[in-house]
Amino acid sequence: MNHAWVGPPPHEGSCAVVDGCLTCGDVAVPVKVLEAAEPDAVCEDEHGRRGTVGVELVSPVRAGDRLLVHGGVAISRLERSA
Amino acid sequence: MRYVDEFRDANLARTLSTQIAAVAEPGRHYKVMEVCGGHTHTIYKHGIEDHLPETIELVHGPGCPVCVIPMGRVDDGISIARRPGVIFTCFGDMMRVPGGDGSLLDAKAQGADVRFVYSPLDALKVARLNPEREVVFYAIGFETTAPSTALTLMRAKAEGLTNFSVMCNHVTIVPPLKALLESPDLRLDAFIGPGHVSTVIGCRPYEFIPADYGQPVVVAGFEPLDLLQAVYMIMLQLAEGRSEIENQYGRVVPWEGNLRALEVLQEVFELRPYFEWRGLGFISQSALKLSDAYRDFDAELRFDVPGVRVADPKACQCGEVLKGVIKPWECKVFGTACTPETPIGTCMVSSEGACAAYYNFGRFARSTARAGS
Repeated sequence: MNHAWVGPPPHEGSCAVVDGCLTCGDVAVPVKVLEAAEPDAVCEDEHGRRGTVGVELVSPVRAGDRLLVHGGVAISRLERSA
Repeated sequence: MRYVDEFRDANLARTLSTQIAAVAEPGRHYKVMEVCGGHTHTIYKHGIEDHLPETIELVHGPGCPVCVIPMGRVDDGISIARRPGVIFTCFGDMMRVPGGDGSLLDAKAQGADVRFVYSPLDALKVARLNPEREVVFYAIGFETTAPSTALTLMRAKAEGLTNFSVMCNHVTIVPPLKALLESPDLRLDAFIGPGHVSTVIGCRPYEFIPADYGQPVVVAGFEPLDLLQAVYMIMLQLAEGRSEIENQYGRVVPWEGNLRALEVLQEVFELRPYFEWRGLGFISQSALKLSDAYRDFDAELRFDVPGVRVADPKACQCGEVLKGVIKPWECKVFGTACTPETPIGTCMVSSEGACAAYYNFGRFARSTARAGS
């Protein structure tokens, strides 16, 4: 699994231009935790794509938590699920 | 989708647009800088300027991490990538940034093993899978991205990986803001603060802007309504004679930032005495290098890099664009010699670059840009 939260890039050497550069810029992706584990949790983005995310900076996490991911690492949490 | 759809509501956008127009002082021209390239991208993707009075000018700031990398640093990276036995990894946009002697993509075409990754953690996986090779990650980005590099290095150190290193080009957001505020070329009224950088550093680092320069700062999210609301909050401050930091992006940005991320940055990095920014020149204490505790992972110490300065192409006006002095389409080569397919300047490379945003979303047709040049 990789961190392809933005889906496959149009071609090598280019980010997904239409949706912005989600990997190297000041943009991050909201995801939901499916399997809580540390240091890497399995998460899913809005399009149903799954991948592992480093969660050391927002731990502890649990299934259902919503996180903001940048560069494969969660930098913030959006909310804690009820 | 939650956190997305509700921030793209057209009726709310129209309401905000009306409210903004209502508080704009007749006859006054407002210059508001959006610092972040992600904001620039949203502004042009969603046509935010079409919903603002003509008297409010959005000026694009230096917050695209690809755009501020000087050509010499690209050449330094390429010199490492070309070494036998090296696997050179970087983010996708970085591969097309032209240096003085081609781009990383050119180096790859010529035989260098250059691979793009979505995360530095993926570069670490490459290192684990290739213990006989030297794996280098070319790190770029502001405080949003630096924590992922820091965590990667902490994992590499904990695992005792000896074939992984980082060429660090991480930069910090506050010094260029100070440089812009001191620039005689530019007179601004307010700032739209970067949302995800602030997730890490919080809002306090911007306190000098209202305190020393009397200008409002509103930290904003990246959806269309986020930006419209941020402009409205700025306009209210200006109308009421206030200059404060406000956090429009409270659903994500804690006022104090991510304290654990700041601790991690503190452990892994230290400030460089100075760093060259494309278009802005050398700015003191504006970038990060690996701390002594992580010097074994510093690619600039592990490999001999030339470290030469390369002047930007004369035709390229990225510097003026990054400082907000000119609009992208006012550059002489915009849309003609410089396009996303064949970029001359970094602002045309990254989708967060102001030039690429203008180009991709058709703010000005190329024929218009040519006629205006």
